[in-house]
Amino acid sequence: MLIMSFILLALARAVPRLPPEVGRVIMETGMENIAAVVEELGISQKPVYLPSSLAGGRSRALLPLRETPGALRLAGPLPRRFIVRYGSEPDDVGLLVTTVGTVAVAMLESAPGNSASEFESALGSLLVGRLGAADGVRATVTNPGIQVEVRGSRVEAASAGAAGCLDSSLASVIAAVAAEAWDRPFVVVGEERRGARHTIRLEMQ
Amino acid sequence: MRTYNRFVLSVAGVLMLTTVVLAAVGADSLGVYYSVYVLGALIIAQAFVHVSPRARQGLNLVSGGLFVGFLGMVLAEAVRFLA
Repeated sequence: MLIMSFILLALARAVPRLPPEVGRVIMETGMENIAAVVEELGISQKPVYLPSSLAGGRSRALLPLRETPGALRLAGPLPRRFIVRYGSEPDDVGLLVTTVGTVAVAMLESAPGNSASEFESALGSLLVGRLGAADGVRATVTNPGIQVEVRGSRVEAASAGAAGCLDSSLASVIAAVAAEAWDRPFVVVGEERRGARHTIRLEMQ
Repeated sequence: MRTYNRFVLSVAGVLMLTTVVLAAVGADSLGVYYSVYVLGALIIAQAFVHVSPRARQGLNLVSGGLFVGFLGMVLAEAVRFLA
């Protein structure tokens, strides 16, 4: 009984100080605001998740203002600004936004490695351990993409407004970690949800 | 089921199973019970790698305390044996 009591006391330290409902309200407010800006500008291109080396020291997502066929070509590292010029063409302009993945990547204790097992381990420690958002993660690397299966996902689908132009919170976290691990831009090309099993497919840019 | 729920259930299950098995084999020494309890708790604490750093810090503290208790018990047994 004493051993169990000590263990329960130790685990109580992991209980978040901020109530989950408060966190949810703050997150939904931010998501709604970003979705409103994106919808108002008529952006239909999916976000490109950039590693910290290409986005001013912090992993971020680039929302190009115009449709770009094929892979996005960056002229170089982008400045830490909201509206950025990313290519050589005059209309290569986009929005550099902070996503759920940006904040989640900052929670990683060390930079994720670029092998499938290291990537899976980083996602596991983040989604299963740190955030408690899933029961398990499995990653399969297939050139040029990555498929991630998340078991027992507890992350609710994004609000209808945000879901149309932005990726789900879970996809955002996974894509941001992938971008950081491979130090390359990534795009979410597919998301599928069957019950608590979530499959996310990413493609390297 | 969340990681922490699985962890607590695993520790509780192992401690209960240990009690049943040791009682069935007729172990009557407090030292034996304590040593096996500590061993079970330490193994499970190490098996759950995906816990938050704050919880890990707390678990390491508990593991350390249990291990010190285990060493104290071993020392007491050694003194009793030598005396």
